Amino acid sequence: MTPTVVEVLDVTKSYPGSAGVRALDGVSVGFAAGTFCAVMGPSGSGKSTLLHCAAGLDRPDSGRVLLAGQEISGLREPKLTTVRRRRVGFVFQSYNLMDSLSVWHNVLLPQRLAGVRPDRSWAREVMRRVGLTGRENDRPGQLSGGQRQRVALARALAGRPEVIFADEPTGALDLSTGREVLALLREAVDGFGTAVIMVTHDPAAAAWADRVVFLADGRIVAELADPTVEKVAAQMTAVSAR
Amino acid sequence: MMRLALGSLRRHRGAYLGTFLAAFLAVALLAGAGLLLFSVLTAKPPADRFAATAVVLSGDREVTLQTVRKKKDKVKTKTKSERLTGAGTLPADLAGRIAAVPGVADAVADYAFPVAFPVRGEDGAPVVGHGWASAALTPYTLEQGRPPAAGEVVVDADLAARGGLSTGDQVPITTRTGVRTLRVSGVAAPAGRDGLPAQGAVFLADREVPAVSGLAGPTAIGVLAAPGADRAALAAAVRAVAGDATLLTGADKVRGDLPGALPDYIGPISIFGFTIGITAFAAVFVLTGTVALGVRQRLRELALLRTAGATPGQLRRLLGLESVVLAAVAAVPAMPLGVVVARVVAARFRALGAVPAQFTVGVNVLVLGGAAAAGVLVTFVAARIAGRRAVRIAPTQALVETATAPRGGLLVRVLAALVTAGGAVAVLSFVPLGGPLGMGMSFVSSALLLCAVAALGPVLVRALTAVVGRLTRVAGVTGWLAGTVARVESRRVAAVAVPLVLMFAVNATMLLNSSLLGRLTADEHAARNAPATGQVTGPAGLPLDAVGDLAALPGVTGAAATLPTRAIVAQGGKPEDHPSQGLFLAGREAAIDLGVREGRIGGDDTFAASSYLVRQYGWRVGDEVPIWLADGYQVTLRLAAVYERARGFGDMALPAGLVAAHDPRGLVAAVALRYDGDVASRIRERWPALRVTPTAEAVRAGDAQNQQGAWELMVVISLGFTAIAVVNTFAIATAARRREYADLRLAGATAGQVHRMVTGEAAITVAVGLLLGAAVAGIVVGAFSTAQDGVFRLIVDPVTYAGMLAGVAALGMVAGALPIRLVLRRRALPAVADGR
Repeated sequence: MTPTVVEVLDVTKSYPGSAGVRALDGVSVGFAAGTFCAVMGPSGSGKSTLLHCAAGLDRPDSGRVLLAGQEISGLREPKLTTVRRRRVGFVFQSYNLMDSLSVWHNVLLPQRLAGVRPDRSWAREVMRRVGLTGRENDRPGQLSGGQRQRVALARALAGRPEVIFADEPTGALDLSTGREVLALLREAVDGFGTAVIMVTHDPAAAAWADRVVFLADGRIVAELADPTVEKVAAQMTAVSAR
Repeated sequence: MMRLALGSLRRHRGAYLGTFLAAFLAVALLAGAGLLLFSVLTAKPPADRFAATAVVLSGDREVTLQTVRKKKDKVKTKTKSERLTGAGTLPADLAGRIAAVPGVADAVADYAFPVAFPVRGEDGAPVVGHGWASAALTPYTLEQGRPPAAGEVVVDADLAARGGLSTGDQVPITTRTGVRTLRVSGVAAPAGRDGLPAQGAVFLADREVPAVSGLAGPTAIGVLAAPGADRAALAAAVRAVAGDATLLTGADKVRGDLPGALPDYIGPISIFGFTIGITAFAAVFVLTGTVALGVRQRLRELALLRTAGATPGQLRRLLGLESVVLAAVAAVPAMPLGVVVARVVAARFRALGAVPAQFTVGVNVLVLGGAAAAGVLVTFVAARIAGRRAVRIAPTQALVETATAPRGGLLVRVLAALVTAGGAVAVLSFVPLGGPLGMGMSFVSSALLLCAVAALGPVLVRALTAVVGRLTRVAGVTGWLAGTVARVESRRVAAVAVPLVLMFAVNATMLLNSSLLGRLTADEHAARNAPATGQVTGPAGLPLDAVGDLAALPGVTGAAATLPTRAIVAQGGKPEDHPSQGLFLAGREAAIDLGVREGRIGGDDTFAASSYLVRQYGWRVGDEVPIWLADGYQVTLRLAAVYERARGFGDMALPAGLVAAHDPRGLVAAVALRYDGDVASRIRERWPALRVTPTAEAVRAGDAQNQQGAWELMVVISLGFTAIAVVNTFAIATAARRREYADLRLAGATAGQVHRMVTGEAAITVAVGLLLGAAVAGIVVGAFSTAQDGVFRLIVDPVTYAGMLAGVAALGMVAGALPIRLVLRRRALPAVADGR
């Protein structure tokens, strides 16, 4: 039995401001290490909220979240950040890069912030794998959307995290660039042993995963192992029709 | 378009708060300074001593020179005049001739002369002496006792109450002709009050007045009309008899009074003129910078509007409209605040004695409206200029993470910088900074240099941050981040640093220059008085005759008496008055050292001038120069000596006898004595009213103190405003970077690390601002200092300099580090997920 790298136990979270409307209503799910899991659901199902709670970016109202066996739901800043940055990488739809820093400095930034001596040879290897060799000194403003997403991915991988959280990583990209990014995420799982938890609304993207979890109205309603595009699409339709 | 503008204003309230605040303060300060200047320009004399008269004839109150130039067939006449501090006199028989004119009930010869009295009037008002006949002019009516006979005096009710005087008391009266003790024969008052505001009055017997006052004739003639007489015809008839004496009617009659009896607003006019200049500059400077910063933050939004189909012209109109609405809304509460500011400043200046006690600030709607309009106009122009390039942003920039403005405009910046810097250099080189305009001109040149710095800001800052940014590496990853970001974002760093440069340069320059002037004046004063053993002063001054007695005391080897006055000299048809002293020297040893550089101080047909004046008028020792004394009396004296130590003394040293005869006050301010032995106690015995101060202890007060206080108040106002500008700019810049800070948190930075980075950036900005500010201040202070006495000083006063550095640095650090604590308060990362 592969160990779980992220465990969400009976987590609830309400939307800020609105009384009683729950984004997550008692969600429990475990994500195994070294696997690729997609989280899907109609809009308003709470999938981004689940991602934020699982990643420690947000505090659930109740329940527990375990990251590599350590309970993070009760941690306060700055401990939360220090724990998170060692183990977690992020690839979000808006690339969240620092525009004043070069690509190279962006890739190494998380390690420097963690006070860890950056592994430069590994970073160069990662850059090669994502296909950005030669663009180290460019600034994000000079790159295309797809290239920026790859920088974000390189940044996420350079720290050798145990899990990468991706929120609609291909949302702003065209089909072929999106496919490249998904292939890189797949390689992170297969080649580096990183777990990837990806929120997406696109069945084609979800088909790259090992497992798909479906959310609706703040609850897990279905799961799919070894997904194909057709199976995912069918399940999505069923979920949306509820 | 209006709906779009109002909508975006309402939505982004926070972002516009900074611009709103800047506009609010700018309009308030402009309104306040405008009201002060307006009030002082339109200040009316508080009361008219000639209220009962129809017409007043006065002697000269100014020196007027006419130059006639013939150019081909045209004759050009140029007339220039200068106010007198004294009053010219009229022929003694004129009053009698006027009385014969039909329609004239009486023509009263009015003698007005300052007297030193045991007590002063309301708010320290001077006491003016008259003949009893002058009582009819207001009129003053007797409340107690009877009119004065020889050796007697009638005092006004206000003075009587203050001094506890009543009929039968003996009071000493000092005029330029000597000290006399008179008996109070009665108390008089004008209708409905105890005395006139701004002047106390004492009335002597008419026969004694010429001898006591030393006046050759009346200073004015008040003409009382017969009941039912036609005023206009009366005025015409009087003028026919009067010849070219000045005829005054209506509200102008006040000018017939003694100039010293009327509140003097000339000094305050120049002070408030400078105040409004400084305020306007700072307000425009800060407002422009704030608006520009605000526009730059909205590049993405502008690009979005472009994708929606807006043309650059429409965006320009939108920016203009927004700015007008914003400034107009800010101006509404700003106007009453301006009134408050003006009242507070006026109160402080009154307390300092820099303005007369009767000065009040009137609320003038036009001035307030003008300030509001100016604020709106400046904001509008600033928004249009700042948006000039921004509105041409490509729509595709909307899709980009960080929109970048279209680059360029370097040529315009360099040109602007060259022009303003050139102007500053010209001012520093060609304007005599050693003269009375020195302080004001040094401010003007620092303002021009500031404009140059603002124009070239990004270029200069890029160079500076490259250096300073590398230094911050020692502070670990946060220091490295701060340095790298600062180097890349030099435009923003420049925009935030400029208010810091403004704050340091303007205030340090003013403080250091005025401190330097104060020190130089004190030094010269000490050097002048060094040869004397002690200074003798009287409670209100000594008559000139008394000096002879002092000099004749056994043990006294030298004496020097000074009578402060003002004298007028002319160049090219333009008369100008200068502070001067009547000088009386006695004894075989010098009691005063003026630092005579050329020639020797001579007799009663000669005078001495300061080297500054000699340079200005191109005189040489031996020249015969026409000089007008305080009452307009003209005399030609030969220049016998040129001296250096003029600060706190005066630009001319005139024969004391002339000054005593022709200055209305005509009293000796101090007698410097050089002596051996126990002269001091002998003086105290014989003249108990006199004070002897050994030279070592002498402290100078008076006029310079007021000026110093006024400058310091302006520095306080300026510091306050620029400080708010610094905080405001930092806040705007920080608020716009919330996303960047959220991204940093996402990359793994703890809140503490983000704070440290922001602090590092603030430190870099402060360092850059202070370096530039010190450069500007150094240039101006150096030039000013060199103009004063040839010594180039950069720092002048290490304590003040260090204080300014520390103060500005502290404010910058707090302003830079505080907003982030408010922005990053929450633990969650709200701005992360969807690029909001």
